[in-house]
Amino acid sequence: MMTELTDYSAFKLADLVKTKQVSAREILQAHLQYIEKADGRPGSLDGIPSADDDKKIHAFITHTEAIALRQAKQVDEKIAKGEDAGLLAGVPFTVKDIFCVKDTPSTAASRILANFTAPYTATPVARLAAAGGLMLGKVNLDEFTYGSSSESSAFQPSPRNPWDLSKVPGGSSGGSAAAVAAHEGALSLGTDTAGSIRQPAAFCGVVGMKPTYGRVSRYGLIAFGSSLDCPGPLARTVKDAALMLQVIAGADKADATAAMKDVPDYLKDIEKDIAGMRIGLSPDYFRITFPDPESGEYVEQELPTEIQDAVYRTAEVYKALGATIVEDVPMPNTRYGIPVYFVISRVEAASNLHRFDGVKYGYRTPEQVKDLTEMYRRSRGEGFGLQPKLRILMGMYVSAAQYAEQYYQRALKVRSLIRNDFEIVFDPGGLYKLDALLTPTTPTTAFGMAAVYGDSVMMQYADQLTVPANHAGVPGISIPAGFSDDGLPVGVQLLGADFSEAKLLRIARAFEMATETDEWRTKKPIVLEGE
Amino acid sequence: MNNKDNLIPREVFDHLVDLAAFSLEEQEKSYLHEQMNNQLNSIRELEAIPLPDDLPVTTHGVDYGQDGTPPLRKDEWVACQNTADILAQAPCVEDDYIVVPDIPTTELE
Amino acid sequence: MTIAYEAVIGLETHIQLNTLTKIFCSCKADSWEDEPNTNICPVCTGLPGVLPVLNEKVVEKAVLLAAAMQANIQDLSFFDRKNYFYPDLPKGYQISQYDHSLATGGFLDVPVPASSDTGSDAYVRQVRIHKLHIEEDAGKTKKEKDRRYVDFNRCGVPLVEMVTEPDLRSAEEAGQYLIRLRQLLRWLGISEADMEKGNLRCDANVSIREKGSTVLNTKTEIKNVNSIDAVKDAIRKEIERQIKEVEKGNTIKPWTLDWDDNAGVLRMMRSKETEADYRYFHEPDLLPLVISPAWQARILEGLPELPLARRKRFMEEFKIPEYDADILTTERDLADYFEETARLYGGDAKKISNWLMNDVLRMRNDLGKSMQELNLTPAYLTELVKLTDDGKINSTIAKHLLQKVQESGKAPYTLVEELGLAVVSDDGAIRSVCEKIIAANPAEVQSYRDGKQSLMGWFVGQVMREMRGKADPQITQRVLKEILDK
Ligand SMILES: [Zn+2]
Repeated sequence: MMTELTDYSAFKLADLVKTKQVSAREILQAHLQYIEKADGRPGSLDGIPSADDDKKIHAFITHTEAIALRQAKQVDEKIAKGEDAGLLAGVPFTVKDIFCVKDTPSTAASRILANFTAPYTATPVARLAAAGGLMLGKVNLDEFTYGSSSESSAFQPSPRNPWDLSKVPGGSSGGSAAAVAAHEGALSLGTDTAGSIRQPAAFCGVVGMKPTYGRVSRYGLIAFGSSLDCPGPLARTVKDAALMLQVIAGADKADATAAMKDVPDYLKDIEKDIAGMRIGLSPDYFRITFPDPESGEYVEQELPTEIQDAVYRTAEVYKALGATIVEDVPMPNTRYGIPVYFVISRVEAASNLHRFDGVKYGYRTPEQVKDLTEMYRRSRGEGFGLQPKLRILMGMYVSAAQYAEQYYQRALKVRSLIRNDFEIVFDPGGLYKLDALLTPTTPTTAFGMAAVYGDSVMMQYADQLTVPANHAGVPGISIPAGFSDDGLPVGVQLLGADFSEAKLLRIARAFEMATETDEWRTKKPIVLEGE
Repeated sequence: MNNKDNLIPREVFDHLVDLAAFSLEEQEKSYLHEQMNNQLNSIRELEAIPLPDDLPVTTHGVDYGQDGTPPLRKDEWVACQNTADILAQAPCVEDDYIVVPDIPTTELE
Repeated sequence: MTIAYEAVIGLETHIQLNTLTKIFCSCKADSWEDEPNTNICPVCTGLPGVLPVLNEKVVEKAVLLAAAMQANIQDLSFFDRKNYFYPDLPKGYQISQYDHSLATGGFLDVPVPASSDTGSDAYVRQVRIHKLHIEEDAGKTKKEKDRRYVDFNRCGVPLVEMVTEPDLRSAEEAGQYLIRLRQLLRWLGISEADMEKGNLRCDANVSIREKGSTVLNTKTEIKNVNSIDAVKDAIRKEIERQIKEVEKGNTIKPWTLDWDDNAGVLRMMRSKETEADYRYFHEPDLLPLVISPAWQARILEGLPELPLARRKRFMEEFKIPEYDADILTTERDLADYFEETARLYGGDAKKISNWLMNDVLRMRNDLGKSMQELNLTPAYLTELVKLTDDGKINSTIAKHLLQKVQESGKAPYTLVEELGLAVVSDDGAIRSVCEKIIAANPAEVQSYRDGKQSLMGWFVGQVMREMRGKADPQITQRVLKEILDK
């Protein structure tokens, strides 16, 4: 089987372009042709479901060939002139449609922003473009990122899992993970508020990294939970994720929460050995606790063995590489991640969504209204889907004057407890001295379309293992670690101390190299097998 | 009936819908109300957690430290070049004003 | 029996800081002359995805004000979101400070002048400050027919909100507070403080109670007052209304009242949101504001001596009357001008004060300039006053010379030379003119010699006229006397 340009890593593509073996334009054309074949119709507001939807990926909302062509032309001109064309010269990427990109529809997968054309560009997107990347388009997601399956998008059909088109790709960066897994661009820019990069990466068998809060600028990211949101890379290899992070990370004058810390060279030591590193396993990440949907009672449940096994197998690989595996690391506040998240993210979301009122941009009700209040109500009532409405109402409830102390203030304190768990285990002078914590990324593999959708609580508990990192602000990366019995990807997660991305990438890359020749690495998504 | 039902009374729910400025169909209301009760049930777990009195709140997980904290902005004027593009997004514009229906008020005297 | 009432008034002021740019974006702050929606950007119009970045000058100016109000400046404060829907508020929330604001406490001493109306003596009212915080201004809306027209230019102009305790007892005191606050803001150079332009805005909370009581009764809030006179009128009207209501046996309701300046009446506006729930929470897009001791010290290096302190010092150090000291400290550049001149001069500072209050201020006002912009510098004014002291010029010439210095920018001494304005004190020159006048007016000479001594003035005047005012009056009189008495 011939290797197509769409199969190459970002790293390889940039190299081919810089060594003039292939032009950016050729790379772009190969991708556009492939996407046309594999992706099917983009999500749209009046997307009536059809049986054909289950045969394609449907990662996109908006294709941006014109922009990509212009970018490819610039790269090729620079190469011709012998100029530096950037780290991502000729690398095609997609952008989760939660980022504003000048002169493109920036919809947040919501009816309320369907007609919004952004007049400015988000910082991480601008950096990808400045590094020579080619923007293929804006990809689908849960409406305003609110979900874990991408099914709540107002733009249907929603993306499918490239390994099994009857399964969800995860979410909210489902379009990103599906696109990358299906080779529709080597890289995708996602966002992670509770696991929205890592969970779909795990479901789709790709690499997804949530950087430290403040490592990547949020300017231009349509906010969900402002104190939790992190833009980050999705890629097929650890090195590609590192390359992309290299480009998007760093301080930004437009984001007062983007840290002033220097960005290290993420690729320099990425293949150095990891002998002597301390990698922890915590029993608190091998079970989830959730309220039983019927009784409301709390149920503690062990994770499926195939998920647990993947983690233990990974630990064995690390042990063989000379790392010390530290077992029984206590992370006792992990189970509070979801209830705390229910409070903090809702309060922030309700406030962040106040601005969608039909006054300045986006949807305004076409109906005749009697006054401003009715205009607000109808525009917001008709423009928002159920998931944003639910988050807004919940946020209003827990931050209302009479409940704020009981819920919001309390949640912020429990957030301190969660942060504390991480500080203890990563403390270089502490008992555990961990370099990373190794955990499952998700409690299950990808679930079926419509299987959990609609039950907001069960949907949320899918994030139980990823959300603590968002509360604590620490970085995390999900990498493919094999397959379940029914052939779905299983991801494992590495969590590290603040700004330890270089180390996490190195540990992740070590696993990738050690398992390079494993049989499971030869498996390909269903959409690629037909080639 | 179990303990999670109707934690949020209907009047409170209606008040929140009012505050959120939503016009909702009955069907939407019942879904949202039910889901809120479910979520609140989950949130109530927080109430049982023992918290030390001196436990500080966390507003951002990461500790920025002094050298990680971005400096404040210098007071330097940079005019936006495409204000017309911003205005062009508004559903109703007249003479460069954004136009909305009037605000309901009652004049009593 | 009539009950004596007193008013209990608290003021909530919004002060636009005169930074070059807005509080959270790089648009310029002042849009006074701009077309609607031209001084905007993605940030201040609340586009999806934008983030606020705090302007450091806003903090510095607010800290200066806090220090001038003797408030406690907090080394750690937080920004909060105040959530509500209004078309002039693009994000649907205002970034403000709620429970951990920039400064707490503090006070302003407000001298209240004697009043002939009420027969009260002058006194000082100390007004305590409840809270001082930074926030962003909203846009503007105007109503036309049944629609609202929204202009976002003002969105994001930096504001300090300062709330007083209910320490004011009359409309007059409220007016004096605003006068002193306006003076202070301009003195510190942190706000233009022009109420007509909305740089300084004021809401008043008013209640009444029996004189001598300490209870706080239900208050009403008066909004939309845009001049100091309007504030006084509105409060006066509201006090009268409340007294009438109470005397009728009615209770006061916590209304929000709108002042209609044209009609001079208060109107009650009832909006739908009676009980606002702003759902304040810490703004996650901004880190907590840390004011390090070093930064605070650097800011406070720019804190000038305050008006009331300077007024007091002027009275003590320069021995000028309270009335003069008050006027000379209305504006900082005037006080600086006075002080510099008084020091250069070194003599009786009251003389400098007189010159300033009688002539220089009038000239400056006619020209519409600031003290610094005058060609008549403190050095030149000093020179001019010394020329009169030395008798080189007389007072009439001096007033004329003042104008000439301003017009030409030349030193008074140079102008005296160039224009020949110096007093003639040459005995011979005066004598020859005196002789000429006496020779030409035999009748008057006769009358004088017959005993009509009062004609001396007339003779002096004639000599002055002949010499175009430059004759030294003392010498003239002596010479005339010599000749006439011969
Ligand atoms: Zn702006």
